Amino acid sequence: MSSFFQMRHVTREFGGLKAVSDFSITLERGELTGLIGPNGAGKTTVFNMITGILRPTAGDITWNGENITRLPSHLITARGIARTFQNIKLFADMKVLENVMVSCHYSMDSSFLAAMLGLPKHGREEKRIRKHSLKYLEEAGLAPLASEKAQNLPYGLQRKLEIARALATQPGMLLLDEPAAGMNPMEKMELAAFIRRIREKSGITIFLIEHDMKFVMNICERIKVINYGQSIAEGTPDEIRSDPEVISAYLGGPSHAQG
Amino acid sequence: MSLTLFLQQLINGVSLGSLYALIAIGYTMVYGILRLINFAHGDLLMVTAYAAMYGVLLFSLPWFVSFPLAVIATGAIGILLDRAAYKPLRQAPRISLLISAIGASFLMENLALVLVGGVPKPFPRPDFFGFVIKAGDLHIMVLTIYSPIITLLLVLGLLYIVFKTRAGMAMRAASRDFEATRLMGINLDRIIALTFLLGSSLAAASGIMWAMKYPQINPFMGVIPGLKAFIAAVIGGIGNIVGAVLGGFLLGLCEILIVALLPSLAEYRDAFAFLLLIGVLLFRPTGIMGEPVIQ
Amino acid sequence: MSEKLKFRLNVVSLVFLFGVLFLFSRYGSGYQVRILNNIAIFITMAVSYNLINGVCGLLHLGPNGFIAIGAYTSALLSMTPAEKQINFILEPVIWPINVIQVPFVVSLIAAGVVAASFAFLISFPVLRVRGDYLAIVTLGFGEVVRVLCNAGQSVTNGPLGLKGLYPHTNLWWSWGVAALAVVVIQRLINSNYGLAMKAIREDETAAKAMGVDPFRCLMLAFLVSAFFSGIAGGLLAHLITTISPGLFTFFLTFNLLIMIVVGCLGSTTGAIIGAVLFAWGGEALRIVEQPMEIGPFTIPGIPGMRMVIFSLILMLVILFVRKGIMGRSELSWNSVESMLAGWKRTQKPP
Repeated sequence: MSSFFQMRHVTREFGGLKAVSDFSITLERGELTGLIGPNGAGKTTVFNMITGILRPTAGDITWNGENITRLPSHLITARGIARTFQNIKLFADMKVLENVMVSCHYSMDSSFLAAMLGLPKHGREEKRIRKHSLKYLEEAGLAPLASEKAQNLPYGLQRKLEIARALATQPGMLLLDEPAAGMNPMEKMELAAFIRRIREKSGITIFLIEHDMKFVMNICERIKVINYGQSIAEGTPDEIRSDPEVISAYLGGPSHAQG
Repeated sequence: MSLTLFLQQLINGVSLGSLYALIAIGYTMVYGILRLINFAHGDLLMVTAYAAMYGVLLFSLPWFVSFPLAVIATGAIGILLDRAAYKPLRQAPRISLLISAIGASFLMENLALVLVGGVPKPFPRPDFFGFVIKAGDLHIMVLTIYSPIITLLLVLGLLYIVFKTRAGMAMRAASRDFEATRLMGINLDRIIALTFLLGSSLAAASGIMWAMKYPQINPFMGVIPGLKAFIAAVIGGIGNIVGAVLGGFLLGLCEILIVALLPSLAEYRDAFAFLLLIGVLLFRPTGIMGEPVIQ
Repeated sequence: MSEKLKFRLNVVSLVFLFGVLFLFSRYGSGYQVRILNNIAIFITMAVSYNLINGVCGLLHLGPNGFIAIGAYTSALLSMTPAEKQINFILEPVIWPINVIQVPFVVSLIAAGVVAASFAFLISFPVLRVRGDYLAIVTLGFGEVVRVLCNAGQSVTNGPLGLKGLYPHTNLWWSWGVAALAVVVIQRLINSNYGLAMKAIREDETAAKAMGVDPFRCLMLAFLVSAFFSGIAGGLLAHLITTISPGLFTFFLTFNLLIMIVVGCLGSTTGAIIGAVLFAWGGEALRIVEQPMEIGPFTIPGIPGMRMVIFSLILMLVILFVRKGIMGRSELSWNSVESMLAGWKRTQKPP
């Protein structure tokens, strides 16, 4: 039986440097998994390979039984994997609602000719997309700001908009790259509740990168730890907390002590 | 085709290539640091040619005074071009810079048109350069031999500056990481000015040799050579000085040899450079000296 | 504002526009009619050009190529075989062009279709790259088209060009096409396709991550833009009745750039305003090329000064008023309504 999502022995080299080497992971439907590791460990590179921004130099990635290793980004999204970015990449000059409406583009039925000729079928579909997008904004609490330019939103709300935008592609799996970065504790609590709500409602699989240990331990069911591009531990939050390899990776450990 | 003819065209190709190479260097250096295609760069050829011509005809300067003066003046105009058209747009989106460059180019061309008129003027080529050496069936102008030699000397001088001086090191650093170089306390404005000075002076030298090679100058004479030199820079790997030189020679050789081998295609000579460009962008966009594209 | 009201306002404006055109076509001087025709053709060109440069954010420097293709296609199809024989004196034109002749409207549609086909072909190399490379490749395309027109003696009559075209273009054709282009292109921009294009402009990686296929989207924009540019070329050919390769140089692209930069980059309304200002300004500035009398002094005319001033204006706009006159906003009935409401508020006593 093929797993929902699987990465097998995935490696990414840049010149002679192995940014990620022999990385493997299996995710089941509906799991909430975290990916942690020190800065520069290769976490975002893993995400970039899953979403088609980078191609693995070795290994393969399977999703729903299909090998998606060589697919371009937009097709991977169409297959059901969506993501947010470490540095916010909103469509800055466009309105908040428009940012979300873009996510409905790939599943449109009517053609550009229908759009140009103003055919009623197209008008109906545009209305549907608008309603659909507004719903996602409401769930994220951003509906009142629908006509604001995305760049005018405060930072915390921009991060939320990124998530709403990714959700509007109706994914089976959501990759969150440091969703809590730059947030204060109150916002982080709200975010954690938001993520849990998403998972309850739609049962989608969530894979997230985070630096905030408390946040990760609080929300994730399983955690994978990566350092220097290699996987060094995997397990429940309690197991990871007390894993000596993880501790030494983050703190340096007795064998790497200064002095 | 006889061996003599082939040799003749080979020499012509190398000579033409050397002129392209000098201009290409200016494009590549500016692009390396500012990520800008200096559309107005080709027009500097025209500026030098007219300056040199008026130096000789109006001020009765001997050519070995007028020509270098024209080169220096053009170098200064290069710096002025940056100050006026590009510096205010350092933080602007790239499309604005490109449009400003195109505007500057048109401004220079049309200003020249207004000032000196559109009728092509004969360039005062010194007899020494125009003398044609005859060796059997080969007819070679002295200029044709001197061009690659002068080019090589200038390129060596430039490479010395870029690789062996502190200013050159700053230039190389700036082309790797603009912001970091500024944070290192290096006066970027001076480095950029130096880049424009060097690039423009080399283009100016090429302009003089070009005017001697085709001694009818007009306000739009820099347009096509400029475009071709840019293509040469892209072929060689934009941002890379050695690449620009290689690209220039390659383009010059190809242009001459293709027309020599297939005379019926002579009219398509200019289009050929663009077709070569499209080919390079399709198969090896980073150029000869660039790294192969990873993805 | 309700959709019904908007629709009614649009109909009224169109009727008004065509009423004005009718008056000019009946009572206007030849000079005025020519300028109005020019304005309409420029509007079509500017609005289609803006779709690529403003909305998609690509620096496309080859619209002259598509306009040229449209002009030649339309001209060659609408000329009678006899007219072609008169023109092609160096080399007879190839079959089937020498025998074919179609009505004007068919030649216009063909102009658009042929131009769009070329756009389809070159999207493959062009859309592989972005930024400066795309600029240069499209510039190269425009140049290659011009060189081909110059060298293709038996198809385009080479440097001699085509003369004696029947002046089919009148106010109805030129403004009809302009109105159609504006409506159709604006509809595309306002649709989800337009959003996808803007998303690619804002952040291509993020757009891809949201499922947008950049190649497909940009190619569509390219096809639409080329289609209307080609038709505009056909209209131009039948307005000035003589075309030659020298008409379609990078200079034409430069003029289009001025139109959309001064109007704005990204707004259709701005493109229209830019086109009008350019056509008007172009005529108005002719005076600097003629001797002027100010009081007792006569300032001699300076030929070529017009272009110098245009170049200066372009540079000043790009240096100081980055976003052009309209910025990215559009003039629409909604915006008129809010402007009026705002004005009314300032009139109320506190």
